[in-house]
Amino acid sequence: MKDYEVVIGLETHIQLNTRTKIFCSCKADSWEDEANTNICPVCSGLPGTLPVLNAEAVQKGALLAAAMHAEVNPLSRFDRKNYFYPDLPKGYQITQFDEPIGKGGYLDLKMADGTKKRVRIHKLHLEEDAGKTKIEHGTRLVDFNRCGVPLIEMVTEPDLRSGEEAAQYLIQLRQLLRWIGVSEADMERGHLRCDANVSIRERGSQVLNTKTEIKNVNSIDSVRQAIGEEAKRQIELVESGGKVESYTLDWDADRNKLSLMRSKETEADYRYFRDPDLLPVKLSREEIAGIMAALPELPLERQARFVTEYGLSEYDADILTNERSLSDYYEAAVGAYTGEPKAVANWMMNDLSRMLNDLGKTADQLVLGPKALAEIIQMIDDGKINAATGKSLLKKVEESGSRPAEIVEKEGLGLIADSDALRAQIEAVLADAPDEVANFKAGKESLLGWFVGQVMRRTGGKADPKRTRELLLEMLRK
Amino acid sequence: MSLQHITPELFEKLVGLAALELTEEERAYLFEEMNHQLASVESLRQIQIPEGTTPSLYGLHPEGISPRADEWKAFTKPKQIVALAPESEDGMIAVPDVKGAK
Amino acid sequence: MSLTSLSAFEVARKVKAGELKAVDVAEAALAQIRAVDGLPGSLDGGAVSADEEKKVHAFIQVTEKMALEQAEKVDQAVARGEDAGLLAGVPISIKDIFCVEGTTTTAASRMLSNFRPPYTATPVRRLIDQGALILGKVNLDEFTFGSSNESSAYQPATNNPWNTDHVPGGSSGGSAASVAAEEVALSLGTDTGGSIRQPAAFCGVVGLKPTYGRVSRLGLIAFSSSLDCPGPLSRNTRDAALMLQAMAGVDPKDSTSSTRAVDDYLSTLGQDVKGLRIGLSPDYDAVYYPNFETGELHKEAIQKEVHETLYRSAELLAKAGAEIVENVPMPNTAYGIPAYFVISRVEAASNLHRFDGVKYGYRTESAVSNLSELYRLTRAEGFGPQVKLRILMGMYLSAAGHDADYYTHAQKVRALIRQDFVRAFEPDGDHRLDALLTPTTATTSFKRKAVFGNSLLMQYSDQMTVSSNHAGVPALTIPAGLDEAGLPIGIQLIGNDFREDLILRIGHAFEQVSRDEAWRKVRPQVLAGEVKA
Ligand SMILES: [Zn+2]
Repeated sequence: MKDYEVVIGLETHIQLNTRTKIFCSCKADSWEDEANTNICPVCSGLPGTLPVLNAEAVQKGALLAAAMHAEVNPLSRFDRKNYFYPDLPKGYQITQFDEPIGKGGYLDLKMADGTKKRVRIHKLHLEEDAGKTKIEHGTRLVDFNRCGVPLIEMVTEPDLRSGEEAAQYLIQLRQLLRWIGVSEADMERGHLRCDANVSIRERGSQVLNTKTEIKNVNSIDSVRQAIGEEAKRQIELVESGGKVESYTLDWDADRNKLSLMRSKETEADYRYFRDPDLLPVKLSREEIAGIMAALPELPLERQARFVTEYGLSEYDADILTNERSLSDYYEAAVGAYTGEPKAVANWMMNDLSRMLNDLGKTADQLVLGPKALAEIIQMIDDGKINAATGKSLLKKVEESGSRPAEIVEKEGLGLIADSDALRAQIEAVLADAPDEVANFKAGKESLLGWFVGQVMRRTGGKADPKRTRELLLEMLRK
Repeated sequence: MSLQHITPELFEKLVGLAALELTEEERAYLFEEMNHQLASVESLRQIQIPEGTTPSLYGLHPEGISPRADEWKAFTKPKQIVALAPESEDGMIAVPDVKGAK
Repeated sequence: MSLTSLSAFEVARKVKAGELKAVDVAEAALAQIRAVDGLPGSLDGGAVSADEEKKVHAFIQVTEKMALEQAEKVDQAVARGEDAGLLAGVPISIKDIFCVEGTTTTAASRMLSNFRPPYTATPVRRLIDQGALILGKVNLDEFTFGSSNESSAYQPATNNPWNTDHVPGGSSGGSAASVAAEEVALSLGTDTGGSIRQPAAFCGVVGLKPTYGRVSRLGLIAFSSSLDCPGPLSRNTRDAALMLQAMAGVDPKDSTSSTRAVDDYLSTLGQDVKGLRIGLSPDYDAVYYPNFETGELHKEAIQKEVHETLYRSAELLAKAGAEIVENVPMPNTAYGIPAYFVISRVEAASNLHRFDGVKYGYRTESAVSNLSELYRLTRAEGFGPQVKLRILMGMYLSAAGHDADYYTHAQKVRALIRQDFVRAFEPDGDHRLDALLTPTTATTSFKRKAVFGNSLLMQYSDQMTVSSNHAGVPALTIPAGLDEAGLPIGIQLIGNDFREDLILRIGHAFEQVSRDEAWRKVRPQVLAGEVKA
């Protein structure tokens, strides 16, 4: 068998998380709503209605374009894509054809082996979403709630080479979308949808062979599996002397199977032309500068900085920059803490992330702010509390909203570091164990740990272990 | 000057694209009228369009409105929209399935 | 003078002064409709009696209850001492292409014969807010596609009140006829290539196509979105100014509506025209038809009486103090219709995509086995032949695969047509016009069935009006005489962007200077001999 490589391009549809739809004032999110309750004359395509552009959709679209290193177009235009389908109430979709909001761009993927892979963006434009349809007993039922939700359609160049790479693209794109705050990017809710174009060629060849299009690969697993299946099918077909035809395939995620939707690319003629109902979208030099300024440090940049600035491992820096609010939290905590940044990282990667998981919250939603976390770690460093108390404090602060020091004070959780109080406890322990004291004095100094344990038991764990050890030695050697 | 003509084959393709069906009488009438209109349209080719002429979408430059603020204003009568549909089921608009369609 | 002959301006003045009850105005209008309109247009309305043939048939739907309720509101407002609005108690008809909540909005098509919109068009809303009484929805060419009213799916189609054997013009034929027959004082029409002005001229009334964007298109069922303009039809220029005043201005629901402040059209209307420069162009002396076989344009002079009326009108305006500038070149006028064929058809085909039997309007009653069949049968049965013709032409012209992009090319021609006007109006140019004076139509109203079916000839009846749609500039038609057959002749004043004030003022001056001319005493056939209280 020849050595083949798979050539993949992804077409993604990204729902922008604006409050309202792109061309009318209905709210954009209908997840909780009954069918056809979040509609108006505009988005249900009634005769005589006209679209009015949502400024926020333009802002978010431009921000995404900037984050993808695309050129933000100072003048973009809307066009009509004409076709008949029941989920498209106007009979045309308002989209951007030849003068989209963003041109070019790329996404750098970090790969498992630590290398980077650049995926070029072919096209990035604003458009409106269509409605939803479902089949019930042979009838197609249509819900217009989703009509007019703002979308960015983003198409990559055929730069991906495996299902795994395609999955990575989606994972990292999803991270970026949430990072810059333009989309919730919840694939289960259809905020991020994907079609994949797949072809194969002999490794080393530069030709682009006939591709098939797989529709509805709407989860990370689906992308991995569907592309894998399709690549396998194409290779087997070509190896057995067959020829790949430009099918459109449907991925059935329930049965992990590809099925044929259309046997040939129908000669669709969308008859694009400028939508006369909408004026060109203008972004002034100042507005574009403002959008660039609003663009936060991106995940890969921040990860690299965490390594150099805080001395974190690549692994830790990667985890802490998975999500923007977590990395913001980390930086704020480091800023409030006087010790090693690595200590904060350890806390966040273990106890804090466990808590986030349990509570189903993101870092910015915690009551326990980064300053409180820094304070807790600081108290441990200063010997005011022990590590176990520190861990229990996380939950207490989160639940009460009180400052860590207040809780320690109120609940008497602080360590007994006071020499007189500690001496009294130690004296009592020594008095109860004359044999052990004698043995110690006879040279069995390994008993020190046992004495520390006894003091701890007596104080309910609140004795400062360092100070206890010092005093024990002092008193036993007297 | 050679004139463009709409051929019967192209005409049938357009009928499909337009999602129409025609009677024989309509077909004959529309086919002839379209070719007449095309003769008029083709006269546009006689115009020398100066270099650098940009296509005009409205004639004048409309001083239209700016994009709107992202503020939610619910339409209060969505049920009336659904009620306009020739057929609906549980608040959904009902149509026959695509199946069997070419 | 009878109540129904009163101008809108007079009605509003009297109602607001308490001299006249809006309810009485509404009743008088309803009585006039009953007297002259005959059977309302209906689907499958077949042949009618000889008596009905002499009726106007402007209305598809008379909204008696709505008008009376609105009248009562106006009377109550007046009684409370409130401002009852610019159009207090003025009876108005609405071209049935505007969505009005509480009415069926048919577009004169079977496709929308059952369509009850849940919202009201902005211009209609503004008329109602100013105290207007909506008397009903008037007939038009199906989806506004025509220049004679004959293509309406609602038959009998409207007749010309001056001679009921003739067409009222179109597509706002019902609007023009209802105003001419004194069923209403004003009507709201739309003008895409001449659809207000051509029927206004044919019916001897005033019609104004405002600057593109001056009046909101929200609620107007679109024909060609880059050309469509709602505008007034009235019996004199003051009423047109009044109605425009009520409707003009930015609409947050129409992105293309202009944010420019609205002029006070009424306050400048009475000013004289001394020193205003009014142009005449030889390019409006003839119509240019293409030869089917060769595509060559051949020239046909406009009707002699129309030409004479135009030049006589220019003399009258000169007498009033205007300066007449002759030989203004408008060299791209001849390309107005071919460019219109492209632009309007491409946009119309797309605008008509939404009529598919899925979510509103007509759905085929045949049993269908799949979605595609539903679409095809619905559209085949719901649209008339003129609509299908526009859709197919639009499909052809916008389809991929031509060696030249027709739409973009036509938009370049549109830029050239615009350039003609820019040059004519340039303040430091050769002509420095305030307005261009042209015929509104090449001929007076033609007989029913004389042109219908010949889509090319029908379209070319808009040759004099279509250029201002391409350019976006405002244009006014006013009655200026009658031909030998007693049919009205209109003249057109085309102004610079947003200079509705100037063309209305010139039109008004013409009304004053021609006030005592004999033709002004002649009444439309349907009103002749009429005696009214
Ligand atoms: Zn909406």
